[in-house]
This record gives sequence, C-alpha cells and structure tokens, in this order.
Amino acid sequence: MATRLHEVTPGVESTPGVTPAPTPPAPVRRRFATGAATVIIRRVLGAIVSLFAVLVFNFFLFRVLPGDPARKLARNRHMSAEQVVELRRSMGLDRPLGDQFFTYLNRLLLHGDLGPAFSKGKMPVAEYIGDRIWPTVLLVGSSTILSIVFGLWIGIKGAWQRGSTFDRLSNATSLTLYSMPIFWLGIVFLMVMAGNQMGLGLFPTGGMHDVTPPEGWFANALDVLHHLFLPCLTLTLAYLAEFSLVMRSSLLDEMGQDYLTTARAKGLRDLNVRRRHAVPNALLPTTTLIFLHLGFIISGALTVEIVYSWPGLGLASLEALEFPDFNLLQGIFLLFAVSTIVFNLVGDLLLGVLDPRVREA
Amino acid sequence: MTSLITSGRTGRRLAAAIVAIGLALLLPATAAVAQDSSPSPAAKKVFTIGIQQDPDSLNPFNGFLTSAYEIQGIMYDLLTGWSDEDFSPVPQLADSWEKSTDGLTWTFKIHPGVKWSDGQPLTAKDVAYTFNRTINGENERPKYDAYVKNIKDVVALDDLTAEFHLAAADPIMDHLWVPIIPEHIWKDIDSKEVTSFSNEDDPVGSGPFVLTERKPGEFIRLSANKNYFRGGPKIDELVFKIFEDEDAMVQALRKGEIDAVDSLGGTTFQSLQGAPGVTTVQSKGLGFNEIGINVGAQTVDNKPIGDGHPALKDRAVRQAIAYATDRNALVDRVLRGLGDPGSSIIPPAYADIYYTPGDKEYKFDLAKANSLLDGAGYTRGGDGIRVDPNSGRKLEFRLFGREDSEESKGSVQFVQGWLKEIGIDSKVTIMAEDKLTEVIGAGEFDLFEWGWGVEPDPDFQVSVFTCDQRSYTDSGEVYAGWSDSFYCNQDYDGLYKQQSVQLDRPQRAETIKQMQDMLYADVPYVVTYYQDNLQAYRSDRWTGLKPDASGAIYFGYGTDRYRSIDHPSGSGDSGGISTGVLIGVGAAAAIAVVAGGVALARSRATEGDRE
Repeated sequence: MATRLHEVTPGVESTPGVTPAPTPPAPVRRRFATGAATVIIRRVLGAIVSLFAVLVFNFFLFRVLPGDPARKLARNRHMSAEQVVELRRSMGLDRPLGDQFFTYLNRLLLHGDLGPAFSKGKMPVAEYIGDRIWPTVLLVGSSTILSIVFGLWIGIKGAWQRGSTFDRLSNATSLTLYSMPIFWLGIVFLMVMAGNQMGLGLFPTGGMHDVTPPEGWFANALDVLHHLFLPCLTLTLAYLAEFSLVMRSSLLDEMGQDYLTTARAKGLRDLNVRRRHAVPNALLPTTTLIFLHLGFIISGALTVEIVYSWPGLGLASLEALEFPDFNLLQGIFLLFAVSTIVFNLVGDLLLGVLDPRVREA
Repeated sequence: MTSLITSGRTGRRLAAAIVAIGLALLLPATAAVAQDSSPSPAAKKVFTIGIQQDPDSLNPFNGFLTSAYEIQGIMYDLLTGWSDEDFSPVPQLADSWEKSTDGLTWTFKIHPGVKWSDGQPLTAKDVAYTFNRTINGENERPKYDAYVKNIKDVVALDDLTAEFHLAAADPIMDHLWVPIIPEHIWKDIDSKEVTSFSNEDDPVGSGPFVLTERKPGEFIRLSANKNYFRGGPKIDELVFKIFEDEDAMVQALRKGEIDAVDSLGGTTFQSLQGAPGVTTVQSKGLGFNEIGINVGAQTVDNKPIGDGHPALKDRAVRQAIAYATDRNALVDRVLRGLGDPGSSIIPPAYADIYYTPGDKEYKFDLAKANSLLDGAGYTRGGDGIRVDPNSGRKLEFRLFGREDSEESKGSVQFVQGWLKEIGIDSKVTIMAEDKLTEVIGAGEFDLFEWGWGVEPDPDFQVSVFTCDQRSYTDSGEVYAGWSDSFYCNQDYDGLYKQQSVQLDRPQRAETIKQMQDMLYADVPYVVTYYQDNLQAYRSDRWTGLKPDASGAIYFGYGTDRYRSIDHPSGSGDSGGISTGVLIGVGAAAAIAVVAGGVALARSRATEGDRE
C-alpha cells in the first residue's frame, strides 16, 4: 500500500512543463464580461493585439542576430567585396533599419506579401512556406491525434483503476517517455527500425517520399505513410505522456468529489459514473492542453524533423536561421504565432461551450 | 473527444479505428515488399547521393551554395572544364581556344553538333548571348562579376566560333565558371524576373543530366541526357537527397537506401571504414585552416578600428606563435590523422602554385619561440606572462573558436596550451561563425581559428591579403571586406597586380609563390592544416567513380565524372531489405495491433457488464 501511494503521488504532482493551469478558467474574468458576445469580441481583439505585437517583435528579434546574409552567400566564392555590397543592396539590407521595418509592415499589411526568401533563390516566402507547411501538419497532426486518443485512454483507465498493474506500468512508462529527449528517442528508433546494422531496416531513414516515387496516388500515399511511420511514432510517444498524465491527475481529482458518491448512491453502474460524470468534468483541463497543443502543430516538430530529415517547417526554420534569412524567419514565426494565438482563442471559446460555469458568466 | 469516450458503442468503434490506423501505417511496408519483389527487367539505374545542404537556387544567375554550383554544373556546360590530373583547363563545350598575344582577344571553338535538351542546336550565338547578358544585366552580373569583369563583349563569328573582347588581360579566361544558357529560352525571361526565377520547370540545358523534379528540403532528381555530346551517362537518374542529420545519412548508406555520401565528419568516416559494401574515399582538401592574427586593424583609408592587442603588430610575436604551433599534433589529435600539416594558403592539391617554405619553416620549437620573444624584449612578469615593452600591456590575447566545428574547438584548446608555454596568456571564447565574422570585421579580436576553401584559380585567395580587402566605412557603418587579418603590404599588392595579368601559368605560379613567401615571413595567418575531404559510396553496387585531381569522386572540379558511374554486372538495386523479415515483422505488428484493439473493445464490454 505504501509503495503504491508513493508511486501515485509523483504521477499526480509531476505534470511539469504543462503550462496551462489544470483548472477551469478563473471566475475572475466574469466581472468584466457581460455576455457571450462581449467575451468573444474581447478575446478576438486580444488575439489581434498579440498578433501585431508578434509582428513587430519578430522583425527586431531577428535583426539582433549576428550574421550577414550577403557574406554568407559569397563566402569561398570567386566574389569581390563590391559584389558583396551589391548583393547586400539587392537584399535591401543596406538601408536603415527603420526604413526596412516600414517596408516590411507596408508590404505585409497592405499587400499581404512576406517578401522574397534570400536563402531560397528569392522565392516568395509565402510560396516557400506553402511548400513546407503540409509535411509538418501531416506529421504533427497525425501524432497529436494518436497521442490524444491513446493518452486519454491510458489516463482514464489508469486513474479509474488506480494502483492496478496497468496504472503502475503506464504511469512509469509515461514518466519515462516524458523525461526522454525526443531527439534521442528518434535516433534510437532510427537505428532499430530503419537501420539494418543493429536494426530491422523496416522503414526509410529519412525524407517524406522515395526518391523515385511510385506511380499513382494510392501508391504515393502509401509511400508517404511508410516514411511517416517512425517520425509519427516518435512524436506520438513523446506527446502521449503529457496527455495521459494530465488526464490521469484530473480524473483522480474528480474521483474524490461528492457528486460521484451521489451518482453511485443513485445506483448508477460504475461505467456510467465514469463516462457520464467523472470524465466530462476531468476533460476540461485536458481540453485546454489539447488546444494549446494544436497551436504548436505548426512549430512543434523541429527535433524530429531534423532526425528524420522531414521536409517540414521546423527544418525550414532551422535552415533559415543558419543563413539568417530574415524574411523567411519572419514569415515562419508569424505563422507559428498565428497558429498558437488562433488555437488558444478557439480553445478559450470552446471551453465556454463545454463548461457551463464559464458559459454562465 | 467527449462523445468518443462516453458511449460504449463508440468505444468499440474507437478500437476499430485504432486497428485501422495501425494497419494503414503497416500496409506501406507490405507495399514496399510488393515493389521490391517485382523488379522490372529494365529497372532504372538510379545513383543517389546524400548531401546536407539544400541548394538555394537552380537558376544559374542565382544559387550561391556549393550544392547549387554542383547541380547547376550538371545541368549546364561551361566552355572549359578541369583536368582530372592537375586542374588545368580541358575542353568542355569549347573544343579549343586561343588568345591574341596581348591577351585582349580570346577565340573559343564550340564543339559541333551539340544540342540542347529540347533538341535545338547549341551554337556560338548562345555563348555570346550568355556572356553579353551577364556583362550587361544588372541582375545577371553580380554572381559572375569576377569572371566577366574584364570582358567588354562577345561576338559569335559563326555558329561555332565565339570571340571575346577584353579591356585587360585576365588569366581567368580559360576557367570561366559561367554556365552557357539557351538563348531561345532565356530571351523570354525578363532581367527583372531573373533573380527570383526558380528554373525548376523543365529547364533546358546542355549538360549530362536534365532536372526532372525538385522537392524542397527533400531531393533533387535529374535524368540522364543520353545524347550528351561527349557520351551519355551510363546511369539513368542522379538524385541528390538531403539529410539534416549526419547519423541518419550514414544509416541510409549502410542500409543501401542511398549510394553515396559527401562531406563526412572524421568520426563518422572512420566508423564507415570496413563497413560491408562501402568504400571510403579520402581526398585532398581544397582548402586550409588557420589561426588568423589581427596585425593591426585598419579600414581601407588607414583609419585604425577595433581593439586588437598592439603586440601582435610585431612580426616577432607572430613568428613566435608560428613556432609554438605544433601542426603535426593538430593533424593527429584534432583531425584524427585525416589531413596534412599546413604551411601556406594554397593547399598542396594545387601542385604548381603550392608553396613550401623549405628551411624557413617554423618547425614546432617552443625554445626557439621563447628566445625570439626574449630577444624582442618581451620579458616575463612574476606570473610568467610576458609584458609588451612598448605598451606595457601583458601578452594576453583573446582566442576565438567556432561553435559549429569540433575541429575548431579542439585547435584553439591546443594552441592555448602551447601559447602558455611561451609566456602568452590566451582567453578562449567559442562563438558562432556569424558572430565571429562581425567581430573580425570590426577589428575586435586578437586571434581566431577559421578556414577557407580555395579555388583552382588562386586570384581570390591571394586577394584576401591585399590592402583593399580591409574593412571599409559606408555612411558611418563599418563593413567587413574579405581580409580577416588586416594585412596590408604595398609590395604584396604590387605582386597581386602583376599576377592578375600574367597569362603564362608557370610565370604566374612563380608570382603566386613569391606572394606566399611574403605571407609566410609576415605571418598574418599561421596555417594549421589541410583537412581531407571525406566521402564514401557503395562499391558493392557501383563502379566507374572517377576522382578529380584532388581525389574527390563528386563535388569535385568538373561534373563530367557523373557520366562514368555504372552498375558492375549482376548486382541489383534492391533496397537491402529482406522480404521475409519484412513480411514477418509486418504481420507480427499487425497481429499485435489487432489484439490490442480487440482487448480494448472487450475490456470496455466487460466493464459494462461488471457489477
């Protein structure tokens, strides 16, 4: 008994790094809001203000980076200093910072143009991001869904059968996975499942397509799935723990509540007590976590993308940073910010729908 | 989510969905088996090279990264190539060329009957078009300025003769790295568009391969131009596959997913030695590494900048540092023996311009370094650190290493130790190359470790030490030139001008060696080593890899080498996966998933019935 308690407690406490407070939105907010419409308007306005702040911040943040893109292109090439000056001029980097900032805002706000990507042959940034966004959405999207499904299931089952073998095993596994560096996990899977020295050689070592893609859309889709498997597995395992631990601890919180005793006293079957009463209440913190997580879909997979050379935005941002390609960095990080802000907003609003306490405000 | 979990029926549906997802992910493995087990007799010969750099552009007027140069060089022809023996010019598009005695008129004879990949004939008019557009185009000129700076215009005398008119003689003329482009295609591409033109949509070239597909961040696929005028490639496709992670790339090579890798690190390279089916290729590096010294930072207007230590203006101190640098130890310990000790700024692979100091060599000798400093009046203080008699400052130098390079970090550690032995204290800081560029440009450094890649034509490399390459000020801002030692010597500049018009290679080589002799004596750099270029390929499946003059089998000089790569007889192109293993594991995994799903569904059912 003592050991069990001992094992359970760290599980409950150690949901570190889970940024959202596992409580429903603070009731304080009610004071300012007079109706659902007002709440929505306030939240949307807040989101727009954050977006603008990000827009400004991004520009200056990347300009602080040391590095001269023009010299980067010209190094080790038969190029005179005058050519480098010319190159710098063609990138607009010779003009004063304020001037560059104005051009950036003007271009973005009036024309929706993110400018050319200098490290990509001056391809328009929006077009380049368009090429690289889908692999990331596919990878992080699929692994998020899988980890939510499995994570919640493990969390619910574990909490309900607290102290069982399943609970102890899954809790220990979750904690191990949670504390494991994703990069390392990826390398291990790569060696074991993709490599054929010590491993099985079952899956490709990197990329998203075979270099000679098969004919037909179905064969092509299978080819992509084949490449997707290992990075998706790595990310799913990495995300899984977060969901199962939060779900487990919030369900444990609910399990002590009086209304469950009432429900049981009414003669409800155990399954119904769990599904109709405990889980819906325990899901609230998890919902917040899920939406916070969805916000990271775009930005989330940098390390896994590196290990598996997955051609997504994480990898693209690394390439842009090495350059440094200011326009591309601004574009990518703007997108990261937009996705985080939008999903947070949706999560906030949805919580109002799910939780009557918030809705009543 | 809520509904998925709260109803018993959907619980089973969930289980079914999980099984379906599992199967969907496993199916491709089986599909791969199906593909592998039915190789068509006319299977394409595809040679795949793993690289770690996605080219920035495949448009010849754009694209500055090494990978971009390599692939553009495969898609297009230059007038001349590089010999595999000694980098001397050999015919490529041009069969022959001659120059007037004053070197101001060059005539190139184009190979007859060359066709573009769309079937149109390639003529001297295309050559004239390419160069005239490059010379006069505001957006076309920047990349190639160093090659065309002395060319006034180019005239096609007839279909096979192009005549170049120069403003001044220029030895670069028989090594013009300017890809010849088809006029009938490019005349429709406006000069304004040229910088952002991707050139990835069925580009027309004359090279041994034609671009067929590019997936950004993934791969570049080229198919063989079997009608190539010097003989079509033996392989059908050439693929450059991009890896971000070196370990993953090496796994792919071991497994046979790719056929070759470029630019390996020393540890990885040694781990591949003896790997089954893999041959490692160690070629002479076309570059050098150095400890750079701030000899007194000034702008081009001789205005002092930065805060370099004044003692480093003294040649005796710099020579002492050279004596105290054990270059053999650096090769052994830092490069794991994969390189050669350095002496000068031209690597030994360029034999005719390579300089050897002979008895002037700064052989590693701490006693000699110490006596040199003693003789110059740098006496040791109570703490053993020497003091500069002129400024009264201790000999305490900043020593910068580069974050991205293990070799750089290693080198500065060793140098720091040796300097300590001769009464010089140094403070090591490791920083990003970008940051280092910035502090060097501002003259805010004493010593640093970095390196250069050196082209067969030495002009650029020797120009780095001319007075004009020091930093310059433009509207109040200091911009870095290429000089990172701030070396400035009028005699050296004179020799630089002299070599820049010497058309006779042996004569020019003499001048280049004199310049190196000067640099060796003045020590703006202590050249530490020439690091070998490390590659590996699947020799069990491929033959005909032809080394260039440095020994490199790809990413060398002259892209002609991709034509001779071929399968030896009888070896297939299988992915190296055993079909049996694949099916077995696939089936086992499928069963596990199904069993898991069923168990899940059942546990829900029993829970419901319990009580």
